[in-house]
Amino acid sequence: MLEIRDLHVHYHPAADDTSARPVRALDGVSLRVEHGEALGIIGESGSGKTTLALALMGLVRGARVHGEVYLHGQRLPLTDEASMRQWRWLRIALSFQSAGSAFDPVYTIGEQVVEPIRTHLRFSREAAIARARDLLRQVGLPAERFDHYPHQLSGGEKQRAMIAMALSCDPELLILDEPTAGLDVLTRAALVDLVLRLRERTRMAMIVIAHDLGDIARLCDRTAVLYAGRMLEIGSTTEILDDPAHPYTWGLVNAYPLITRTKDLWGIRGLAPDPADPPRGCRFQPRCTQSIEECCQKVPSLGEPAAAYGKNQRLVACHRGGLLTMLSVDGLRKVYRCRGRQTVEAVRNATIQIREGEVVGLVGESGSGKSTLARLIVGLEAPDAGSVRFEGEELAGRRLSELARRRIQLIFQDPYEALSPRLTVMELIREPLDIQRIGSRRDREDRVREVLAAVNLPTQPAFLGRYTDGLSGGQLQRIAVARALVLQPKLIIADEPVSMLDASESAKLIRLLKRLQNERGMAMLFISHELALVRKVADRIAVMRNGEIVEFRPSHLVLSAPRHPYTQSLIAASQALLAPMPMTLVSDERSLVHS
Amino acid sequence: MTETAARWSTVAHQEQPETKVRLRFPRLFWLGLVILLLYGIIGLFAPVLAPHDPAAFDGKPLEYPSANHLLGTNDIGQDLLSEIIFGARVSLLVGITASAVSVVIATLLATIAAYMGGWIDAALMRVTDLLIIIPRLPLMILLAAYAGASLATTILVIGLLGWPQLARVVRAQVLSLRRRPHVNAARLFGASAPYVIRRHLIPALLPILAAGFVTHAGHAAMMEAGLAFLGLGDPTMKSWGLTIRYALNVKGFFFGDQWLWWILPAGFNLAMLLMAFAFVGIGLEAVANPRIRRHR
Repeated sequence: MLEIRDLHVHYHPAADDTSARPVRALDGVSLRVEHGEALGIIGESGSGKTTLALALMGLVRGARVHGEVYLHGQRLPLTDEASMRQWRWLRIALSFQSAGSAFDPVYTIGEQVVEPIRTHLRFSREAAIARARDLLRQVGLPAERFDHYPHQLSGGEKQRAMIAMALSCDPELLILDEPTAGLDVLTRAALVDLVLRLRERTRMAMIVIAHDLGDIARLCDRTAVLYAGRMLEIGSTTEILDDPAHPYTWGLVNAYPLITRTKDLWGIRGLAPDPADPPRGCRFQPRCTQSIEECCQKVPSLGEPAAAYGKNQRLVACHRGGLLTMLSVDGLRKVYRCRGRQTVEAVRNATIQIREGEVVGLVGESGSGKSTLARLIVGLEAPDAGSVRFEGEELAGRRLSELARRRIQLIFQDPYEALSPRLTVMELIREPLDIQRIGSRRDREDRVREVLAAVNLPTQPAFLGRYTDGLSGGQLQRIAVARALVLQPKLIIADEPVSMLDASESAKLIRLLKRLQNERGMAMLFISHELALVRKVADRIAVMRNGEIVEFRPSHLVLSAPRHPYTQSLIAASQALLAPMPMTLVSDERSLVHS
Repeated sequence: MTETAARWSTVAHQEQPETKVRLRFPRLFWLGLVILLLYGIIGLFAPVLAPHDPAAFDGKPLEYPSANHLLGTNDIGQDLLSEIIFGARVSLLVGITASAVSVVIATLLATIAAYMGGWIDAALMRVTDLLIIIPRLPLMILLAAYAGASLATTILVIGLLGWPQLARVVRAQVLSLRRRPHVNAARLFGASAPYVIRRHLIPALLPILAAGFVTHAGHAAMMEAGLAFLGLGDPTMKSWGLTIRYALNVKGFFFGDQWLWWILPAGFNLAMLLMAFAFVGIGLEAVANPRIRRHR
């Protein structure tokens, strides 16, 4: 029904300043909206969402607009102000972002809804008033609001009035720009219900622009992802939200707060590019954890995602076909033979995947095979069956000294044991570089100082020359983390990294690990028997029992709706230990309620 | 468990870091060390300390002790005190060098065996077992007899046969060391076996090697005396074992009282030296061996 072909919107700075580059608010966006369909558009602020809405309405001022937009096969005269009036409101209507300021404060709401009905539909005053009252009723506003001024309405009511105004001429396409921004959850829920009802009744096509993924999930059939003026991914809303393919979409979806999401939210590393000076090639490349040479050179075009993803009309603009699976463990098995014929199957048929930049938590009781799995992945033990693929390369059964191995680093449980007591801090952290013969001695020492600073430890010579016996457990584990970082790994496997630390040190170390993981774009396998800790960092949680992965899903789903009985008992057991809050707090609350 | 305890029981306890153990040597260690140093000085300055050249015939045969010859002379008129003083040299020299040979072989074979594991380990350890089973002294006598009597032969024969027990100890130690996380960490950084052995294993083994070295030096000194006594040593080197051998060759030796200043000093010195080595060795081992350390 609506077809946008290669739409560009470039804002040019003041005409006298020819040296300044144009701001590319939209840079070649193409998409279609079918009849009766709702398309969601998501993206960070400044990604061009609102510009797209304004461009469709012919409302961008001071910008150069290229590209073609067709509605029912008819081309919209985007740049011709006079003829655009035939389209605006009548066929395409926009409910503006920030309804509060979109209304004129000196007219009543009623008058402002009547106005487009009279000008566009040429209704008589009485007929227009009747229609406006009807519209306000339809959006659930009480009759007296007709005579109220905008400042007398609440935010939610203004938004409703705005929608009523947009609906005034029965448009074929309704664009809702941030319909729920700034509203509380109850008002938001009611508004979303309203839009759903309207959609059901009118069957009109909709474009919903929102940064709130919850609204998109409820309202839209398909969703497009905009970033710095380009479309990075489009597909069915379910697939986009549950299984995002583009690294940007993944970051965006993962930064969204859910009531069941217990991990700390970190957002996508780095900042959105300057729209006047966007990076060459893929616009997301500077923040991407998996960029390659091609990403800096060539603009990726929309295409089918990699095989791992659902392909329900999904297109993704990524040279690598979407987020890569970094580590893929398949049917791994390890049997220990102890005394004669007796065998212990420590890991049996373990299967797990870690995607680029993802934190996977691995939980299970002691003896469930977690550490063995970690040792199999890094190559300290050889598996009896199964495969370990890292960035597509098979590692199982290959030597520890192989190059690929270096890109996986292990952080051991016990820092006292993991750091040799015979080496100084400097020697400890420099050791990996010494072994790999990377750089000159000076380069190595610079890198040691750099990683020490990254883990918040002093870099003075006095500290660098110390031995481990005078340092605290927290400091030692930070040194171990720094040492793991110095080779710039792509994957960190942290095997119970905080179990030897007290609660405060452990909290600090976990936040540090998460920050480093986010900033450096690493993936992490976080192993712990402590569900309470894992849920703070993990994007996905794998539950291990008797050497098998029994459940492996997004962490908020594992925690809120565990499927496997073992996961359920694990959560129940953790809750039994953690749930009773200090009694003093509970009784205080009770007395508050009673008084 | 109280309710509060149950509530907070998931909070990890802070483990106290194992600080460096203050090295406390037993008193006997110091005694042994003093005696060893004393013999070291005697051996080193033998030409200065000895009143006579032990090879020179500057007395009458079988002289009684006198101001000129404090311990008298032997059957061919050589000064016995000078012989004893120069004997310390041989005992120490053979003890130390032969022990060094043993320790180097034991360390190399044991670390390679333990680190590599598999058939290499099995093969090396079977050879070790074999050498432990075969009675040492007869084999040594046989080898020394075939190789000919010289100082170098003595050292090599003792050194080449002395390593098996130490190798067993070192191997056990390496087996436990190589599973330590810091050694695994080095391997994860891509370290080769020689690097790990040189940088992580040997330094950790040093205390045990030191104890083994001293203990073996004592054994080697005794072996040297034994071989010399049996006439398998270098006949020109004045060693304590050789002194005893020559004394016993004199017919009717024990009918007189010559043994008081001829055999007794040599035997006494040998015993003292071995005891000193043993004391130092035991002292070092008490510090080096974690199992003994824990029981103290």
